[in-house]
Parts: sequence; structure tokens; C-alpha cells
Amino acid sequence: MSPEHPIYLEDKLEEIRGSGRLGYRSKSLPTWCPGCGYYSMTEGVTWALNEIGLRNEDVVIVSGIGCASRFPFFMETYGFHTLHGRTLPVATGIKVANDKLTVVVVGGDGDGFAIGGGHIPHVARRNVDITYLLFDNGIYGLTKGQVSPTSAIGFTTSTSPFENHDQPLNPLMMLLSYGASWVGQAYAGQPGHLAEMIRAAIKHRGFSYLHILSPCVTFDKTDRTYRNLDFSVRNLPEDHDHSNRLAAIREATKVDRPAVGLYYVENRPTLSDTLDEVMIRAGGKPAEQAGAG
Amino acid sequence: MTSIHTDVQIGICGSAGDGTIAVGDILKRAMARAGYRVIAFDEYPAEIRGFGKCVARTRITTEQVYSMKPKTDVLVSLNDAHAIPHAEEVRDFGAVIYDSAPITMIDEGWHISGHLNPGQLPYGLPMREISEQATGSSRSRNIVALGFVAGLYQLPRQAFIDAIAAKFQTKAAEVTQSNVAAFNAGYDNGAEIYRFDKVEVGPPARRTRVHDSTMMTGNAAVVRGCLDAGIETFFGYPITPATSIMERLAVEMPKHGARLLQTEDEISAISATVGAGFAGARAATATSGPGFALMSEMMGLGVMAEVPAVVFVSQRGGPSTGMPTKTEQADLNIAVFGGHGDAKRIVLAPTNVEGCWRCAGRAFEMAEAYQTPVVVLLDLYLSNRYETVVFPNKNPFVRDAWKRPTQDNANEPYRRFELTADGISPRAVPGDPHGIHTATGLEHNEFGRPNDLSAMHFQMTEKRHEKLNAALKHPGITIYKRFGDTGEVDVGLLAWGSTFGETLEAMLLARAEGIRCAAMKVVMLSPLPVKPIKRFLKDCKEVIVPELNYEGQFANLVSGAVGRDVIRFNRVTGKPMAVNEILDTIRSAAGKRKLRKSAA
Repeated sequence: MSPEHPIYLEDKLEEIRGSGRLGYRSKSLPTWCPGCGYYSMTEGVTWALNEIGLRNEDVVIVSGIGCASRFPFFMETYGFHTLHGRTLPVATGIKVANDKLTVVVVGGDGDGFAIGGGHIPHVARRNVDITYLLFDNGIYGLTKGQVSPTSAIGFTTSTSPFENHDQPLNPLMMLLSYGASWVGQAYAGQPGHLAEMIRAAIKHRGFSYLHILSPCVTFDKTDRTYRNLDFSVRNLPEDHDHSNRLAAIREATKVDRPAVGLYYVENRPTLSDTLDEVMIRAGGKPAEQAGAG
Repeated sequence: MTSIHTDVQIGICGSAGDGTIAVGDILKRAMARAGYRVIAFDEYPAEIRGFGKCVARTRITTEQVYSMKPKTDVLVSLNDAHAIPHAEEVRDFGAVIYDSAPITMIDEGWHISGHLNPGQLPYGLPMREISEQATGSSRSRNIVALGFVAGLYQLPRQAFIDAIAAKFQTKAAEVTQSNVAAFNAGYDNGAEIYRFDKVEVGPPARRTRVHDSTMMTGNAAVVRGCLDAGIETFFGYPITPATSIMERLAVEMPKHGARLLQTEDEISAISATVGAGFAGARAATATSGPGFALMSEMMGLGVMAEVPAVVFVSQRGGPSTGMPTKTEQADLNIAVFGGHGDAKRIVLAPTNVEGCWRCAGRAFEMAEAYQTPVVVLLDLYLSNRYETVVFPNKNPFVRDAWKRPTQDNANEPYRRFELTADGISPRAVPGDPHGIHTATGLEHNEFGRPNDLSAMHFQMTEKRHEKLNAALKHPGITIYKRFGDTGEVDVGLLAWGSTFGETLEAMLLARAEGIRCAAMKVVMLSPLPVKPIKRFLKDCKEVIVPELNYEGQFANLVSGAVGRDVIRFNRVTGKPMAVNEILDTIRSAAGKRKLRKSAA
């Protein structure tokens, strides 16, 4: 994905048209501010779905409420734009109803860690086979700039006019301790790497959590800017052992120099596996699922 | 009701730990086995341990009845301190059975024999001693007491022995043997007594064959309805009195290839149910008032995104944690109106155990056909009470009968929310290559794209309301029905949910007294069958609406819809409505009419 020579518009358009990626994009144009990190999400998800070769009708994108949550409208897949904070249980329901679907959940830090924080541990421990793309900009953008659970101490917003005094959450450490079976981090300012990480997260069988550092260009001019993140973001050490949960947690503690890459991965039974096991124990057999055929 | 040969209510009262509910259970199962009709309801405390009061009441009849009796024929006291307040519910020439040689000294004045009216006939029985002689332990005194009742009224001994064996089948054989020995010892004692009471138990109705009927609770009937309707997913969170729905489904669903998940809270339960409904599954959840309050926002998404979902709500005393083990009908408002915005949904409230099964099954059909959340509103009394039910041989519930996109205009973009004459749009689910769309909680156009233009919001709001009118004509379910006198009546009763049973019994008693009256049950609370209710009210000089809430939530709903006030009869005792209290209200309403007439 890293070109050797300058990109010319005609070449780029030809490449995109020929790639098949546009087949995953709806006719609706994104409504985000120019420069928003979410454009990289659209690019990354489109590229990953195309690379994996998933059929449009077999993909469901679930979102909550927030800037990131407008995403399903821009995709030519099934989509469910739900309530603030309730993406994960809705996605669980979809997956339990039809295990053949690829379910991708997108949301922001407010949606995921403020109002929706109670659902994350349970999706992680059950290992529901869904992909959670969390775009963390450390601010409420859709309501025009309020403090969020991942805002830095000292960050001034319309609802923290005398600076934020609440310690920000460390989502990676939370997910690692909740028992998520795939935990990674990416940065919207590195769209190529982000796309690769999205592909790996979707391909993982189990609950995959991708934390994406994504600047809000409109309401955050001081803290999580492209300029600051370009400077602080690093890669995980080359010798990082992503089968070692403690090593992953150690890397996740280094919040001043956030590292991108795959923190942790393990393979263990998914919720579908355990529900099938329950059926076998009960003496039944898995029936044809909803929507299949 | 002269055709009733047998109509006997037996109450057993004791302290938690006395085995009160256990012997009540054996009694009702034995009588159902013997071919009687049974209706039974237990009162129990919210605490698992401790010395709270338990009362197990069983009404045994030859014909179908609709409620518990206001008066008990036979009261068995396993704990006099708890049973004394219940002595007054024993009818004249009814029987009171008590332990004449209890192990602890009972303080003066605290023995039940000192609290009986002259017309109530006492039978003292050394329960503990008989239990010790028969089994070597005093623990079976509850079974001895049960045996005594069975012997006293010559109830079929073998049915009880079979019911005892079934109850203890998972335990060692000696447990059954010793309980049968205790039962027989009690039975023999009872059979020897010369009775002075006037309680008579005749033979079971000849035409009722034992295997035609099943005895089950309202919650068990809901489970059977779910299974008969082909439920595919269930998500729930434990809450009294709905938990037993999830517990039974957890056993049964996996046998049929269906999936059940206990979620982290009620918000996730409804969210996953709506998610599964979006993905095309027959999905349900079950809860009580506090859980349903948490579900309100997601109910709105179900309405807005037009997703099928079935929600069973078993009401208990409220608000807040309220009275978790007591019954009430105070969640009509939240069931019909709960949540923000114009979020009309279908609400069904069955009136008896058979209705629980029917409403459960039809709720899945309606949710799919009209693409909407459907609430089935039960209450603790209905959820927990036992009735003998006769099910049809053929499963009546229709599966997968919803409007799908046709391939006629496959080249045009798919309109998930197409504005049609009946308001129902073709519904596609993920996996269908011709139905790709995004569903949203935002107001949207026919394609599902966000759109907040005035005309669009009006058209879509209208669509979401008007499409539900088809539910009023949904086949295979009685959404209202009139009983009693036809034509003009002096008193009409309008009731919903479990209270209809008591209302119907009171109406029949009033007719027997010569009062012209009729009763209408309303099963579909939303959309409300306004025209039939109006027609009925036109026939009634006075209208009484009995219900178990303070303000009269159904009375408000009805008088708001028909523009006529009604006589509200409200009780918030945590107990089922008493038939004789409704009867008194009918008498006074009829009397008022007469007084007014004679004055004029």
C-alpha cells in the first residue's frame, strides 16, 4: 500500500475503479468534516472487505450514535444504525440469529466507553465473533465538543470549561483484562496500516477489538491532533509476543507513546461454538439459522 | 352454574420451610391426574429463607372456572401464627385442620382453634406424632396433613401416591416410600373421622379424560407458546416473576436447535432481541416492570426501524423494586405508552393460562406480519397460577408469513420502508442479495436514508401507526369478547388481564341474583378495539372497570378512547381481586340505578 512514486489522480481513480472496492460503497457521500479520521475507516473497511472477498449481503455493519456511527449509510452492505451505546448487544443478537454473517461494529469513545461501557466485558468474555472498530477521538463531536471518558486531564471543552480533571480510561488495558481474544491498535493518520489491521481483525474468529486513534479536526485543536499523534505514535516492538497477555498489558500502559500493531491474539471457542455445545448436551442439533437460504 | 358438581377450594398455610408449597403442589397434581379441573395460586415471601408466610390455595372443580373462590372450603394450618388471619376466609360449615400436638408450646391465644367461628368445623390432628410413627421423623407432618384431607373427603388415593412418586422421582426410593407411608397414615386417620362439615367432593367430570388436559402455570404456557411458534432466539435477564420463562426455555430451546443467552442486563436483552429480529430470527425476551422500564428506549428503535420482537412482561407490585412476589396490574401505561415519541406498538394481555399460550404464539406472528415489537402483558398471579388446560391437537401457529421483496423490480433500489396502502413494507433480512439496506433509529425515507423533512416524518409516522390496525383482525385470537346477558344491561364490566377471571365469576354470581349484567374482556390493549368497546358501553347503564392499580390505568385508556367515564374499582393489595368485592360493586351500581329510577 505504500507507493514508490507520486500518485496521479487519473491513476488513482483507475486503480480504485478496477479494484472492486467501490462495490462496497453506497451512493451516499460521507457527512464528516474534511480531514476527519473516519475517512480512513471508510477506506480501510472497504479495502478489507474487498481483500477478503466477502459478499455484500453477508456483511452487517452495526453502529450506535455519534459521528462514527453514521458509517453504515456510506456502505453497500446491510447496516443497523442503533441506539447510543447499544451496538454490542445488538450485534450479539444478529450473530446469534445468523452465525454466517460477518458483523462489524463501529463506534466512538463516548458510545463505547461512556454509555455503552457495561456491554464490552460481556462481549469479550463470551468471545462473540464480531469485529469492534472503536474510533477514539477523545471528544463528543456530534454534540459539538464535550469531554469524553478518554479525554486527557487538562483538556478544556464546553462541558469542562475549567479543564477536565477525570482520569481517562485506558481502553486497551480494559479489553486485555476483559479477555478479548484479539486486541490491536491503529492510527487514522496511517491509513495503510489501519486497513491491514481492519482486515486482520475481521478475519480473526472471535471478538476482535481494534482501537483507532482518530483526531477530531473540528473540536480538538490542542490534544489529539494529527500533528501530536504523528509525533507520539510508535510501532509495537518487533519482538512483541502477541500471545503474551501480560506483555500486551505492559505495552498498553505506555499511554504517552501509543503503539500501533497487534497486542494480543488467542484462539478459543466463540459464543456460537458454546451455543452449539449447549445444543449437543441438550440432545438437540443446530437448526438452520435465520436468513440462511 | 348449577352444572358444577364439585367446587372445593383447599388452602394450606405454613411458614417457609414447613413444606406448604410442596404439599400444595402434590394436591393440585394429584387432582389433575384424577381428572378434575384445577386452578391454584401460591402466596410466598420474597425471602428464600426465614419464617415468612406461605399459602397454597387450590380450587378443584368439575367445570372450568376462571378465578380463585372468595371463600376457602378447607384450611390446613401448618403454622397457627400464620394461619390465624386466614381463618376468616373459611366459609361457614367449612373445615379447619390443625396440629393438635405441636412440638413447641403455643402461647395462650395463639392456637387457631381459639380463632374459629362457630360455623367453622375444627379437626385437630396430631400431625407430628403420626409422622413420627409412620416414618420415624416429624419432617413429613405436611404430607400427613395432606393425607388427612384426602382421607376426610375420600379423594382418589392412588392419584396422590402417583403424584408423590413423580415429585420425588429424582431422589432415592426411600424418600418416596417414607412420604407415601406418611400420606397413607394421614389418609387412614382422615377416613375414620365422622364429618360435620358441608364440603362435598364428587367424582370428576366423566368426559374429561386425564390425558386431554395439562396442568401448567401461565409462564409454562408462555414457554409452550414460544416453542409451538418456533422461537429461534431468546435473550433474558433474571427477574421475578418472569424468570421461570427463561429457565424453562433454557432447558427446551437447545433441544429444538434454538439459542438462548442470559445477557448482562435487560438493556442488552432487548437489544439482542431486536438485533436477532433484524437478522430474521423469531426472537423474544421476558421481564418484569423494572426490566421493562430499562427496555423503553430500545422498544422505540424496534418501532422506528420496524423490527419484529416479542417482549413478555409479567407485572408485579411497583413502582421501583416494589413488591417482587406480589401481583399488580400497574404496568399497562408503560406497556402501551412507555418510551419517547409516537411509538405505537401491539400489546396483548391474556386473561388465563390458555390465553398465555395463545397470545405467546400469536405475538410472534404479529411481530413478523406487522414488523413491530409486540408486548405480551402478564402479571404475577397469571404467571404463577396453575390451571388445567386443554390444547388443540394441531399446532395452530403460522411461521415465516411476512411480506418479502419481490424480484419484479430487482433493478430498482430496494425500498425497505416503502409507503404502501396497508403501511406494511416488503422486509428483507441480511443474507438476501436483493434487500441490502440500513435500518436506523433516525427518521428516514423509503430507502432507509436519514430524512427529517416535515412531509416525510408525517408519512412515516402515519405508516407506523396505521399498519398496526391490521392486528385488530389478526386470525386465530380473540382480542375482545362479551359474556353474560345480551342486549341492554344494568351493569357492564370491562376487564383485562388476570382480573377478568374474578370479574367473570362476579358477573355470573350477580346474574344468579337477578341483576342484568354482562362482562367484556379486552385482550388487545394496543391498538385498542375501540368500536366493539363503544358498542358494549352503549348497552350498559353503568360500567365498572375493576383492576389492580391505584388510578385505573385501563379505565383511563378506555374513557379516553370512548369519551365516557366509568366506575373505577381499584385495589392495590398485592393480591388478586376478590370476587365478592366486585360483586358488592355490581350490587351497589345496580342498586343506584334502581334508586335513581324510583326517585324519578
